[in-house]
Amino acid sequence: MTEKTPKRTQHILETEDIIINFGGLTAVNNVNVKVPYQSIFSIIGPNGAGKTTFFNCISGFYKIDSGTVFFQGRPINGIPTDEVANLGISRTYQNIRLFSSMSVIENILIGQQPRLRSNSVDAIFQTYRNRREEKQSIQKAANLLDFVGLSGYANELSRNLPYGAQRRLEIARALGNNPHLLLLDEPCAGMNPHESDAMIELINTLRSELKITIILIEHDMKVVMNISDHIVVLDHGEKIAEGTPEVIRNDQRVIEAYLGSETETLVEKYARRKNQGKQAE
Amino acid sequence: MKNTSAVAVRKGVLTAIILIFLQLINMTAALGAMLEKMITSAKSVKSVSPLFYGVIVALVAFFIAFSFIRSLYRPGKPKPTPLYCLGESLVIGLVSGVLIAALNALISTLNANGVKIRTYLDMMAPDAIKTAAFGREIPVMIGIYLALTIAGALLGGLIAWIIKSTGQPANAWAALQRAIAENHTIRFIRRNKIVRILVIIAILIFVFALPFILSPYGISILGLVLIYAVLGLGLNLIVGLSGQLVFGFVAFYAIGAYTFALLTAPKPLGLEFSFPIAFLVALAISGLSGVIVGLPIMNLRGDYLAIVTLGFAEIIRSLVNSNLLADFTGGPQGIKDIGQPRQPGFIESLIGKPMPENIYFLYVIMIFFAVTLYIVYRLQYSRVGRSWEAMREDETVAQACGVATSYYKVLAVIIGAVIAGAAGALYASRNTYIGPGDFVFMVSVNSLAVIVVGGMGSIPGALIGAFIIKGVPELLRDLENYRMVVFGVLLIAMMIIRPEGLLPIRRKKIYAEPDKDLEILKKELKP
Repeated sequence: MTEKTPKRTQHILETEDIIINFGGLTAVNNVNVKVPYQSIFSIIGPNGAGKTTFFNCISGFYKIDSGTVFFQGRPINGIPTDEVANLGISRTYQNIRLFSSMSVIENILIGQQPRLRSNSVDAIFQTYRNRREEKQSIQKAANLLDFVGLSGYANELSRNLPYGAQRRLEIARALGNNPHLLLLDEPCAGMNPHESDAMIELINTLRSELKITIILIEHDMKVVMNISDHIVVLDHGEKIAEGTPEVIRNDQRVIEAYLGSETETLVEKYARRKNQGKQAE
Repeated sequence: MKNTSAVAVRKGVLTAIILIFLQLINMTAALGAMLEKMITSAKSVKSVSPLFYGVIVALVAFFIAFSFIRSLYRPGKPKPTPLYCLGESLVIGLVSGVLIAALNALISTLNANGVKIRTYLDMMAPDAIKTAAFGREIPVMIGIYLALTIAGALLGGLIAWIIKSTGQPANAWAALQRAIAENHTIRFIRRNKIVRILVIIAILIFVFALPFILSPYGISILGLVLIYAVLGLGLNLIVGLSGQLVFGFVAFYAIGAYTFALLTAPKPLGLEFSFPIAFLVALAISGLSGVIVGLPIMNLRGDYLAIVTLGFAEIIRSLVNSNLLADFTGGPQGIKDIGQPRQPGFIESLIGKPMPENIYFLYVIMIFFAVTLYIVYRLQYSRVGRSWEAMREDETVAQACGVATSYYKVLAVIIGAVIAGAAGALYASRNTYIGPGDFVFMVSVNSLAVIVVGGMGSIPGALIGAFIIKGVPELLRDLENYRMVVFGVLLIAMMIIRPEGLLPIRRKKIYAEPDKDLEILKKELKP
């Protein structure tokens, strides 16, 4: 990142002073980020720091109180979520949100929604457009399933998939939209080291082969430090640090945010209590 | 073992409660009369004979004991001995016999002493009390009751033990299913295209012959069932697929019916259009009403939607019922002499004489049902249907996946409204008379029940549901006053046994071979 003001087109996503309040609580406060094309951009921070809220601002779930979100140089705040998806922003969710009583392949077909054109009249009369589009989208869904390693599961109900497979299915569904930008909300949550390695590899492939820009929220520091080009740290809705993994690793404020500035006093307090308990016995 | 004996006592009390309840609403006698009618094939039974009354009492004890003994066979527990089974059954019979006999002894004594029991228990007329006492003295009556319940319970326990220990018929259902799955003829039918076509043709011939086989009563019931099936298919799109709770579905039905009626009836407007034109206009107007309702509710979710549509239905009903508009809608008197479709000439030249009106009309309904079925099927298994289902599953996520939820919501309401309008127009034409009484809230409830019973979002479910909601009550006519009680019990039982509906929605299997080529995927994923 250079110091001089960059052109909008150099960044796929840019936020300017976005603020969002829930009642009296400011969940996101004056956060500015600039996400370069084809990068892996991570957002970290303790629980309740406003990371997911930030995602919800980008994908249009929440209306921001002030500030602007630019996507490819174009302001996108205030437009409905389905139109945000049409622009090429896809996302996954912290607590997996699949269409649980639909089959796996149907989930991916829903993900392709913004790229399909046939309507109800086409469907009733089985027009050429409908049949061609249906065939193409099913083929694409099969390819996507194969890409995330779920090709055997196409006709299972998505709620019956194992946990890790559900996470990958969510990514496949998001990819169905042919996204420019993919927002991944804790893709490695609840995974064992082996599974997170596979996820890291998948995310790397998304960037290197499919040329997708990725914004990542993740708690697993191993994953974050491994794959990020750039990291932003949020705490209490504010950006407290920003930079490459090396910079973040050694930032005093980040350490404090994660462990708390009064960590040592707390440790002493517990030790004292423990001793008191022993004496009482 | 001591524990299960306590359970047996409890089951005995349960049996007694059921018996007492049945007796107090006088249903034992009604069921007995029904049984007597079936077995002796008498046209009508005025007062049930003690034999059949007793059989019903014994049957209740039989079923309770049967299910209790069956439940003793659990994996991991020792198998009960036959003597033990009989003992437990005896306990059930004894307990229930004592309790029911005590009740009857009490009632009979009170009756003999001149207390008018009827003032407290509506159904307990002196005649009914006499029937319940088998027309005997109290000690004899107690003996009869004990004998009946004990015999019933012992028999139930014995049969349960035989079934469970031989294990033969117990798995009969599973065995039957396995047999069907493995049976070569059925597999042959499924696999072989020509045979499959022949089977479909045979079914079609049967369906086409059906109106000629049925009695006039059967024809009228089948017509009503099919109209409700159409209604159910329409509501299925809105509630079952797109997941929006619409309570006032009757509004669209009424709008279709009234539009059609006003356009074809000589009074009050005197337009007398022909069937096809009036039908098309009815579809258009009900579609328009769908737009009118759909647009304001576009951004409502869940409960609000239910309330808004409920209000809309009431407005429509009040409008057609009001005296103010009586010159235009017929008011409380309704509309008479609604037009019917004219038979095309070729039918007469084909079979020599005009087809009876009711049979012809059943064919008309069948055709419309088939057309609706086709449209709904095509929509459901397309991009549109999938979007609706995604909205039902999780509206927020569906929208974030790019489903234009507002558009699809209104679309579902409009298509559902058009289908309901078609059902209404058919109903009006079939009845030749409609009034405000035909479009009460119960119609909405019934059409909801159709899809809940059949299975939300399932197309064959709507047909089965319509048959159960509209057809079964007619089959139960023999039960007279208890018809709706039995119907209610059936519905409750069904929802407990199959909460997802009788024929739950089936996911269509979608197969495609992946290309296994990253380059193709890259091309496909180019934004």
